[in-house]
Amino acid sequence: MPPAIDVRGLTKSYGDVHAVRGIDFTVGQGEVFGLLGPNGAGKTTTVEILEGIRQRTSGEVKVLGFDPDRNAAAIKDRIGVCLQATNLPDKCTVAEAVELFSAFYSRNADGDELLKRLQLWEKRNASYGTLSGGQKQRLALALALINQPQLIFLDEPTTGLDPQVRLEIHKLIEELRAEHRTILLTTHYIEEAERLCDRVAIVDQGKIIALGTPREIQARTLGHSRIEILLAAPLEGTPPVECESLTISADRRSISASSSRPARTLADLVKWIDQQGVELADIHLKRPTLEDVFLEITGRRLRE
Amino acid sequence: MKPYLALIRLNLRLAVRERAVLFFNYVFPLIFFFAFGQFMSDGNAGAGPMLRVIPMVIVIGILGSGLFGAGIRAVIERETGILRRYKVAPISPAPILVASMVTGWILYLPSVVLIILLAHFAHGMPIPERWLSLLILVTLASFAFRAVGLIVASVANSVAESNVLIQILYMPMLFLSGATLPVSSLPPAAQIAAQFMPAAYLNTGIQHVMLRSEGIAANLESVAAMLVTIALGTFIAMKLFRWEKEERLPRKSKAWVLAVLAPFILMGTYQAWTREHIAESKQLDREIRRNHTRLIRNATIFTGDGRVIPNGAILIRGGRIAEVYSDQIPDPDSLRADAVEAAGKTLLPGLIDVQVGPGGDTPEALASQLFCGVVAVGAVAQQPAQRPAGWSGAELVATPAAPTYIPALAAEEAALAVARRDPGPLSRTLVQQSAFSRDILQRTALLLRNGGIPPRTPEPDPARRATELRRAFELSTPLLLGTRSGEPLVFHGPSIHRELQLWVQAGVPASAALRAATFDAATSLGIGGRTGAIRKGYEASILIVDGNPLTDISATERISSVIFKGERIDRQDLLSQK
Repeated sequence: MPPAIDVRGLTKSYGDVHAVRGIDFTVGQGEVFGLLGPNGAGKTTTVEILEGIRQRTSGEVKVLGFDPDRNAAAIKDRIGVCLQATNLPDKCTVAEAVELFSAFYSRNADGDELLKRLQLWEKRNASYGTLSGGQKQRLALALALINQPQLIFLDEPTTGLDPQVRLEIHKLIEELRAEHRTILLTTHYIEEAERLCDRVAIVDQGKIIALGTPREIQARTLGHSRIEILLAAPLEGTPPVECESLTISADRRSISASSSRPARTLADLVKWIDQQGVELADIHLKRPTLEDVFLEITGRRLRE
Repeated sequence: MKPYLALIRLNLRLAVRERAVLFFNYVFPLIFFFAFGQFMSDGNAGAGPMLRVIPMVIVIGILGSGLFGAGIRAVIERETGILRRYKVAPISPAPILVASMVTGWILYLPSVVLIILLAHFAHGMPIPERWLSLLILVTLASFAFRAVGLIVASVANSVAESNVLIQILYMPMLFLSGATLPVSSLPPAAQIAAQFMPAAYLNTGIQHVMLRSEGIAANLESVAAMLVTIALGTFIAMKLFRWEKEERLPRKSKAWVLAVLAPFILMGTYQAWTREHIAESKQLDREIRRNHTRLIRNATIFTGDGRVIPNGAILIRGGRIAEVYSDQIPDPDSLRADAVEAAGKTLLPGLIDVQVGPGGDTPEALASQLFCGVVAVGAVAQQPAQRPAGWSGAELVATPAAPTYIPALAAEEAALAVARRDPGPLSRTLVQQSAFSRDILQRTALLLRNGGIPPRTPEPDPARRATELRRAFELSTPLLLGTRSGEPLVFHGPSIHRELQLWVQAGVPASAALRAATFDAATSLGIGGRTGAIRKGYEASILIVDGNPLTDISATERISSVIFKGERIDRQDLLSQK
């Protein structure tokens, strides 16, 4: 099966500003692929080039087998898009918006069913201006699905929404994944990428700095898992184990270690404590998050 | 086709929910309609002013709907990110632009119908005979100005900027196109500037259709101007279309705007050069004035054929005498006419000079004649000199031969003055007033004193001519009044009044003299069926004077006003024509 999206050496410059500086990735059919990165990393520019609404500076791009610079109309007819910073006329009702966008595509989903699925059926006669942020976002998703797309672009679909709505949208994306639709998602929320995406590319300053499944990225990094051990009685001496750092609390009842080989370090530690005749009260192993990965590679936090 | 229809349907629904749209399309034109209707008819509800008010209201409406309606809304849709959402759908700018134009038209057209029906029922204006042509013209114009609005929207980077650009287009078109102020009332420079404005051609087109019942085919100039605007406007709006406010317009593409203006610059240059359209506007203006309905009442009426109505009235409508009342003068409101009080005045048919002499066919001579209340002149076998288009003056009737007997007492008197080097005739009031330039009078006086004008042979003998005339009258010879104006010191226009005075001095009764200069003169020139008398159905060419010339013939010189084919002539304007 050919990939849904194939990007090689993509660059985009606005005069002297280089928004995208050579990006390569492919998205397989039925895959949920995430572009994770801080604001201004080049995620939106990349997505807009794929959607056919922005011209690239150089590189090879194929979306559903079409080149967006030459066959934008063919791509637009086949994809669903949920953009950042768009609007509809305030006095346009939900049902009218669905009716309007239905007319733009060669294939249509059942609009009523779509509104029911997105819990907008009761709001179908409400005008756009009166909708809440979550309702507007659900309508945007309904419009993205109006042409029964096999490939869906979701650009920061949950930004600015409250946690309740965010969960609803996560649920919907999971449903879409279950329907084997291909999804390209951009986000700057770690949990979102970790929870929803089959594979993630971490983007910073126009480049991909890490790519793989969330688990692979975590494993591949030098980032250290943290091991925390609580003891039933105070400990004497220092455990002779291989690790990057090890601290023992003042009351000598808790040990905290960070290690790039957490399984080995943990086994050694438990063995040594056992030899000392001290009871273990609790053990925690914290694997590094994508946030830690980003911090390690760029020296900056994602959400700054 | 689907996206087009869907966008039009949505636009219409949104427009109906938007109060501003209804205001601009319906309330605004209605306010103009009532305000101008009231203002122009001086408080009287007549159909005449409607011919000026309706084109005005239509042009104002189309400009508003096109420039403000399309221009500002498109910018708002871009600024708020609505167009950005459309951008990811598989549609081009075409359905968005076309839908905007069609929506504007659908919303505006009923307003035109409403205004015409109002004019019909409230002001008695007949429904335009070529109503279909009118609607087609309005349709084309609505699309054309919508397209111009969309170009403005593409060029402007913000709502504020588009507002400024639209005002820059709207204001001059409003005031210079002839829609609000008649082109002829504008200063010459502004008249030329008007030729560069698309709205001026729309205004002329609408006036043609309403006034002359001309069809679309007869108004190819207006139609072409609108079609060119639509085609170029749509093309350029497509070229410059921007989906997002972040998209910058390349500076060179602003040059496209010049392209839409190019046809109008060419047309304007051509018109400014030939002045065809200016003349046309003036002509239309005159026709509108001729359509004024007036009731002139409480006047002494000399009908031309010898009858006198001591206290009568006449109704002028559509350029003709619609009715002559000798008693029971009706209420002007019931006739939808403006009342003109003429107590103490006398109404005469416009004077007719059966024989003008050298130069009597020139535009200046004919303008001077009309200034003096002369509405038609006869000239022997002369090809009428070319009049500048839109020129106003007395009618020139070419006659195969001069009448056998023309007393021409004034010419005789003038010839005597020449022989005596007496500049007296030059100082007559009407001569001074009707002269195209003061300079000519002074040079003539100088020439006369220096003997530069050769005296006539045989020697003039006014007294003998006067005796001949009296004898002819006593023998009931049919008399015609001609002046041979154009001979030295016989002026085109004033001389007919002098001639009348000399006839009365010679012993001809005033009523007979006046009949020779009106009813009988018209008959002799072959225009008797339509002019030369104050009769129902005749052309409304009337001289109104202070006093009663039947008792004091010099009253004919005290001209109160001249009405020519229904138009109340602005006499000073006659003499400043170029």
